[in-house]
Amino acid sequence: MIQTKCRKSREMAKAKFFIALFVPLFFLAILVSTGLSAPKKVSTAKPGDCAACHESKRVLPPDHPDTKQMGLSACSPCHQKMGESSLRTKMPVSHTHNLAGVTCEKCHGKAQKRQAVEMAKCITCHNPAKLVEKTAKIKPENPHTSPHYGDSLDCNLCHHQHEKSENYCNQCHQFNFNVP
Amino acid sequence: MKKNNGKEKKAKLEQKTEHGSVSRRGFLKTGLGLGALATASGLALNLTKKGAHAAQFKPMPKKWDETYDVVVIGSGFAGLSAAIEAKNAGAKVTVIEKMPVHGGNSIINGGDFCAPDTKLQKAAGVKDSPVLMYADMMKAGQYLNHPELARIVANQSRDALEWSESYVGAQFTRLNYHGGHSVKRANQTINASGSELVNKMFAKIKELGVNVQTRTKLVSFITNKDGRIVGIEVLKGYRFPDEKSGKVAYIKAARAVVLTSGGFSRDLALRQVEDPRLTDKFESTNQPGATGEALLAACMAGAMNVQMDWIQLGPWTSPDEKGFGHVPLFCERLVGYGPMIDPKTGKRFFKETGNRKERADAIILLGHPVIILGDSYAVPKQVFPNALQKGIEAGAIKKFNTLEDLAKNYDIPVDAFRQEMARWNSFVEKKKDDDFDCMIFPDAKPTVTGPFYAARLWPKVHHTMGGLVIDKNAQVIGFDFKPVKGLYAAGEVTGGVHGAVRLGGVAMADCIVFGRIAGQNAAKEKAWG
Repeated sequence: MIQTKCRKSREMAKAKFFIALFVPLFFLAILVSTGLSAPKKVSTAKPGDCAACHESKRVLPPDHPDTKQMGLSACSPCHQKMGESSLRTKMPVSHTHNLAGVTCEKCHGKAQKRQAVEMAKCITCHNPAKLVEKTAKIKPENPHTSPHYGDSLDCNLCHHQHEKSENYCNQCHQFNFNVP
Repeated sequence: MKKNNGKEKKAKLEQKTEHGSVSRRGFLKTGLGLGALATASGLALNLTKKGAHAAQFKPMPKKWDETYDVVVIGSGFAGLSAAIEAKNAGAKVTVIEKMPVHGGNSIINGGDFCAPDTKLQKAAGVKDSPVLMYADMMKAGQYLNHPELARIVANQSRDALEWSESYVGAQFTRLNYHGGHSVKRANQTINASGSELVNKMFAKIKELGVNVQTRTKLVSFITNKDGRIVGIEVLKGYRFPDEKSGKVAYIKAARAVVLTSGGFSRDLALRQVEDPRLTDKFESTNQPGATGEALLAACMAGAMNVQMDWIQLGPWTSPDEKGFGHVPLFCERLVGYGPMIDPKTGKRFFKETGNRKERADAIILLGHPVIILGDSYAVPKQVFPNALQKGIEAGAIKKFNTLEDLAKNYDIPVDAFRQEMARWNSFVEKKKDDDFDCMIFPDAKPTVTGPFYAARLWPKVHHTMGGLVIDKNAQVIGFDFKPVKGLYAAGEVTGGVHGAVRLGGVAMADCIVFGRIAGQNAAKEKAWG
């Protein structure tokens, strides 16, 4: 009886040892692998040169034409703005910006260590009042104005440049916006 | 049974003191008061709270990153009122806000400001007085309200409303009724939202030269050797709800800190410590930042809290839309004009004009959503057109040509419902409800004119009545029953004004009245160094 208990506890200790050893290693491996696969942010990369940042990782379908020399206007014949093949939400907005000639420097400046970009920078190109007008017919609500904040809400609350954009309104509401 | 009363707290404190003399500062170093108690009960209930900070005493920083006379925490009604008043009293002021946007819950509130004897009441021929408003607040609050505080709100709310209009520039254009009040006394903003007042206050503080620092989260209060609050530790560049985000900074408050961080309706761990029924099964009407860590940080710095387990559920929310939604603006305008029906029986079940707690409890007791309805006389007359239209578009408010169609849609037994409607209409005719004593307004008419409008109701967590103990000067009181020097608080983070139940429209009154008091007194504090 006592012996079985002892053996059991020894086995359990062994199991605990392996769990203690391998679980952290496993998570470390995940961290390293995801760390490695995260794209570089190469400011000198040509807009259509995916490999410059994504390296060997394939980010376009195999039969996609070569994009190296392309700008945003070259994408539009196939990827119509609101159609099924629209690039909206499929690509971080920084890519659309870059393809349209808005390079990293144009928003972040020349500083070595890049800082987050303030809304003031966005509105030098994107006039809030005009945006409100442009999206006035979107249902169920105009995403660029609200009874709470008018048109003053920070662009970056929804439109993230380097990660997936989000629908900030949806923390309280249920609006099916397609956020670029 | 309500457990968080002052006596028990005092007893706990005395118990602690038995193990040796515990000054507030000593208490901070050792047990850390209620924060620690809350954490312990959290563990007992198997609750884990992401990002909860272990209680620890904060020594004075070597260097302050910023210095102000008055530091306001939170940018809702109370915080902005305090900032305006402190600035106008000559103080150098900053406002910190942990969220990326200003306004907290105030900017999403319904814009109803209760005050007695107002212009809108006079124009509508409503007779009211501070005495009557106080009586209503006390009755709804089950007389647990701290009378002195409730009286201040009742007495000063008209002044606060007039200040909001004439000084801040907000417009109030409509008089509304809320359940539990004796008369119509909710003065509603022109856009039926608190944003009208918040945004005008926000413009005002900018004009006065006060900066608002968003994404700046309070970590802890800093106390000097005399137990006086001298500043705060914050996280700058904090990205809610990522507790690992942001950079530590120290802000000195030469005169005082004003805590106006709001309630904790969205704090699942804390609200379940106080009321274990309030699991994630209950949604909340609040913004996601309505969590209790700032309140607990104040407790860790020696502030006493009260009545934390009186947590209000709004009885007028709909399970068919997210958050606060549009249905509350539909439901609350219809009570006293149309009936509330239990779809299982086809009958009324409670006084429609009862207070929030009574009504929410009655619905929860039934265990399923109920129906509020109105006809084509009451609805267009009472309901803000935008709220109605949006509610219909969202599918939360429905329109029916006949009462039979309505009954069919909600699976209501038609005959029983028809009889009940006839009974309700007879009460409306004689302006007296023999069944539940619902207040029936003089201009109410029987619900007979199609089309009919209806919505389902199921309660959501709305307001936390409890919070920090304050005195008539908005000064926070400590576990030693003495003021916590250098700390003021106002609005939902405080407890006592509303007792067991906050009446609709009294939050705005509470926030502006005590926010102003807190700001004025914070600016008057003698600078510590």
